[in-house]
Amino acid sequence: MATLSSVNLVTPRTIANGPDVPTLKVPCLNRPWTRVSPMKLRVGPVRAAPDGISEKVEKSIKEAQEMCSDDPASGECVAAWDEVEELSAAASHARDKKKDDDPLENYCKDNPETDECRTYDN
Amino acid sequence: MAVCPVYTTQSLNSTCSISTPSKTHFSSHHNHLVFYRTSKRTSKRGGSSSCVITCSAGDSQTVVIGLAADSGCGKSTFMRRLTSVFGGAAEPPKGGNPDSNTLISDMTTVICLDDYHSLDRTGRKEKGVTALDPRANDFDLMYEQVKALKSGIAVDKPIYNHVSGLLDPPELIKPPKILVIEGLHPMFDERVRDLLDFSIYLDISNEVKFAWKIQRDMAERGHSLESIKASIEARKPDFDAFIDPQKQYADAVIEVLPTQLIPDDNEGKVLRVRLIMKEGVEHFSPVYLFDEGSTISWIPCGRKLTCSYPGIKFSYGPDTYFGHEVSVLEMDGQFDRLDELIYIESHLSNLSTKFYGEVTQQMLKHADFPGSNNGTGLFQTIVGLKIRDLYEQITASKTAAPLQATKA
Repeated sequence: MATLSSVNLVTPRTIANGPDVPTLKVPCLNRPWTRVSPMKLRVGPVRAAPDGISEKVEKSIKEAQEMCSDDPASGECVAAWDEVEELSAAASHARDKKKDDDPLENYCKDNPETDECRTYDN
Repeated sequence: MAVCPVYTTQSLNSTCSISTPSKTHFSSHHNHLVFYRTSKRTSKRGGSSSCVITCSAGDSQTVVIGLAADSGCGKSTFMRRLTSVFGGAAEPPKGGNPDSNTLISDMTTVICLDDYHSLDRTGRKEKGVTALDPRANDFDLMYEQVKALKSGIAVDKPIYNHVSGLLDPPELIKPPKILVIEGLHPMFDERVRDLLDFSIYLDISNEVKFAWKIQRDMAERGHSLESIKASIEARKPDFDAFIDPQKQYADAVIEVLPTQLIPDDNEGKVLRVRLIMKEGVEHFSPVYLFDEGSTISWIPCGRKLTCSYPGIKFSYGPDTYFGHEVSVLEMDGQFDRLDELIYIESHLSNLSTKFYGEVTQQMLKHADFPGSNNGTGLFQTIVGLKIRDLYEQITASKTAAPLQATKA
């Protein structure tokens, strides 16, 4: 349990530190993936939303509003609002999943015999 | 006999999974037809011929249940209640795609029909088509795969990724004891409909749908009352054209309406829920209150049971629904205490419970699920018990007449 939670805390930090330290010092290399790193930096701190679904919901709403300002009855407008619904439902499911996602519970599901997962009566 | 089909399913599965790597592409359903034939051939070569013939001769072992509802109308909660009735938690396939929509438990496999989208998110946007539109869905593949699973053959089912909006590489689905297909269109295509042993439609009234989506989305950045309303309204024409008409085919409909106990209530917190049960459905006999076939109105709260505001009101009686004879059980209001729930359970008949208080036990087990204090949770639990009963009846009738089954 202790190791699991500490891993969770450590990983985001290493990811955040990773790109700006080495890649910015070697801009001369003509390798495409080095060009990706400045973009990753611009994304900035990772928000609490799982997999960035919240951002997708927000973006889809803006797009739907823009799409519908021209022709509210068009298929494109309706499809855009349908996308909003799909992403909102996905965001809600992701929130539920996160709520149920207890590292100890998950670990014990696969390893019920280990010391940290044993339950005792009395 | 009871042991044999289980064994053969396994042997079929193993041959299927061996043959899959060469046919993993899902872009066209022709592959699946080939795959279908291959598996038959390999299984014949495999040796256990007598058993395989029993299985592929259409002796369907998998009971197929359809659950239809719009997005955000409680399908997931219903699935969790249903799988819980069969015991064991339903979980995504182990070691598979983390965005898989499938849930698997010992008895049941739940597949999401969004996986049969023929157009991905970009494709739908380009064509100006919603996911509700049949043109965005591949009913041929849906039919082929549900049919294959029903006859005991594993399939490579595509995965629609709700986060990316893309179709991911397929996952192997083995024929379960109970297959639940949930989504927007389980009863839309006549061929798929005919494969269903039982079908349910969740009919959420516009007022309640709006209230639920506010609850779900208001905390989400970018959403407002206007955006929630705009999304519901934009999707409504397609919903009315393609989703709503399916309720006429359902064996059970759960209707969710605003309460009538509080005058002019529009909060959507207290609900009036109606369970509409079709008469004459094989292996399904409707639940009733006090006296089967009579018309009854019942307020359980009074001298014997004290209920908190606004109280609870039940009604029951025969009715017609899209020309079908039905029984309707209705509950308005909500439970606040356990004694209210057990008191009500003790007055309902034909619940298909295995012991006194099973409905209450199931409701308590999932007290944290939405709707656990009102008719949505109660009726979902009851339908779950009826499906367990239906499954047991179907398997019992098969083992009782093994000769007939092999001949057919």
